[in-house]
Amino acid sequence: MATERPRPARVVAARAVAVLPALLLLALPAPVRAATAWWEPLAFAGQRVSSVTAVGGQIQVDTGTGHSVSTDGGHSFTPSLAGHPTAPPPPRSGTTLWQISSGTVVTAPPGGPLAIDPGAPYLGAAAQLIAAPAALPGVVVAVGTDNHVWRRATSGRWATSFILLPAGGLSGAPRVTSLAAFSAPLTTAVYMGTDGYGVLLSQNGGDDWIRADPGLPENVLGLAADPDAKALYAATDQGLYVHHLQSFPAPPAYQDASLYLRWLGIGVIAALAIALALLGLRRALPRPIRPRLG
Amino acid sequence: MARVDLTRRTWWPASATVVIAAGALGLTLLVPRLFSDPVGLDPYVLRLSAVAAALAAASLLSVRLTDSRPVLLAVASMTLAFSVFAGGPQWIYDISGNRFDFNTQVLLASAAEALLTVVVALIAMRASPPDLRPLLRLRRFGPAAAIATVAGVAAFLLLVMLLPATLLGREGLAPVALARDLPLQGPASALQSLAQELQFRGLLLGALDRVAPAWAANLGQAAFFGLAHIAVQYQGPAGAFVPVTILLGLVFGWITQRTGSLWPAIIIHAVADVAVTVGVIPGLYGY
Repeated sequence: MATERPRPARVVAARAVAVLPALLLLALPAPVRAATAWWEPLAFAGQRVSSVTAVGGQIQVDTGTGHSVSTDGGHSFTPSLAGHPTAPPPPRSGTTLWQISSGTVVTAPPGGPLAIDPGAPYLGAAAQLIAAPAALPGVVVAVGTDNHVWRRATSGRWATSFILLPAGGLSGAPRVTSLAAFSAPLTTAVYMGTDGYGVLLSQNGGDDWIRADPGLPENVLGLAADPDAKALYAATDQGLYVHHLQSFPAPPAYQDASLYLRWLGIGVIAALAIALALLGLRRALPRPIRPRLG
Repeated sequence: MARVDLTRRTWWPASATVVIAAGALGLTLLVPRLFSDPVGLDPYVLRLSAVAAALAAASLLSVRLTDSRPVLLAVASMTLAFSVFAGGPQWIYDISGNRFDFNTQVLLASAAEALLTVVVALIAMRASPPDLRPLLRLRRFGPAAAIATVAGVAAFLLLVMLLPATLLGREGLAPVALARDLPLQGPASALQSLAQELQFRGLLLGALDRVAPAWAANLGQAAFFGLAHIAVQYQGPAGAFVPVTILLGLVFGWITQRTGSLWPAIIIHAVADVAVTVGVIPGLYGY
């Protein structure tokens, strides 16, 4: 019968160091992660949806087969005999109304007459895209027929907000197809739909724009914001999609003990890396010749 | 173990040091990802800096590691300066509150990054044996360097515009934001480029050029430059950046070696940083 030889202490220590990260991995709870998708398919999967409007909880879309309406948040659609979706009401920023008329931006205070907004640019005779988030009174975003995006700051000053660049050296810039903002003060966001760059989002009244389309096809043909449902709908060449208002993904929160254990594990690995590197350098580098005295 | 005369320098010690340092930093960076969530709480720049600083300190204290000293100091300059840059805006905010806006914080952090790089470079020049001192190539800017600078900037901009926007995340220009940001972000990018070129093409390539053939030295620093972007993009998609940045590192290294000047790489890098900040990063990371 063979007898076990005692393991040298350094072998035991080395194995303990190697196993420690695995123990930490098993002992700690998985971090909390965002579970809600930014965009989710809603209806007409794989079909081209050319426009969408959402007013008072009713969603209306145009597809290749005609006009359809949903009154249950997009879970089911029924064909409608009406020719086209009901036009959404002109955007309001607070109580002020904004719209495009004869190629420029006009505005009306509550109960007042329409008048050209001083300093508003000429957007082109066919221009029609305009949005005004209720959460940012005085801020307006509008798109010209030359595809330039303009924004009106709260100060009333108009400036070019965004110029779409070509998608590549051999192709042109995608077209801005839609603008949307919530008519209730739910968020400061302004959404811009493009036929190639998905949806872009600005949270500061059109100064900065970022992509906001994870899960969404690149060709967005229409956008509609429904404050009652706290949802944004996107008509795309691949179907109808929905984005429910939500916060940006936030860092996960850990219990203190978990955090300290993680940092302890990180410290152990850093110390191990230093030790291994110094050992490797000692073995890899030639020993220098010391000058002989005398 | 074989003994060699310190006066007969070979490529082996510096090359082994690059590989071992890369391995140590890779271990330090990636293994904790098995049990630690990197988002927000993982102090990865600090642990990288701790490892690099410990190795550099050992090389300064140990005669045995003399041949490794220039490379290890170059690596320390990268990690320490990046830590200062990455943590700088938050530290400035913690100290001064809302006194500085974000752009000013980034500019100050970039200045600190450049200053720290220069300090480590001075230490490397003073502490390295004369025949191992890195070739910084800062004193020369001849006609070849000027031509390379103009051609490099033009080629970069042309290449970026030819590539599909969906690949780069480049959607458009935001003039209002540019007018607000560029007066501070432009100088900040220039300082960051100065620091990073001094670290990779100055200290590291300059150290490897002392002992290795030009192609091998360039390949070594470019590989390290590419792998370093795993740390730079730690909280984002890192994999796609590595081959692209290795290629960029090779180009910058080749220009530096051919022109004998670090300035073309600094200027092209600065233009690229501004272009990336303006047109690419919002598309890649925003949502």
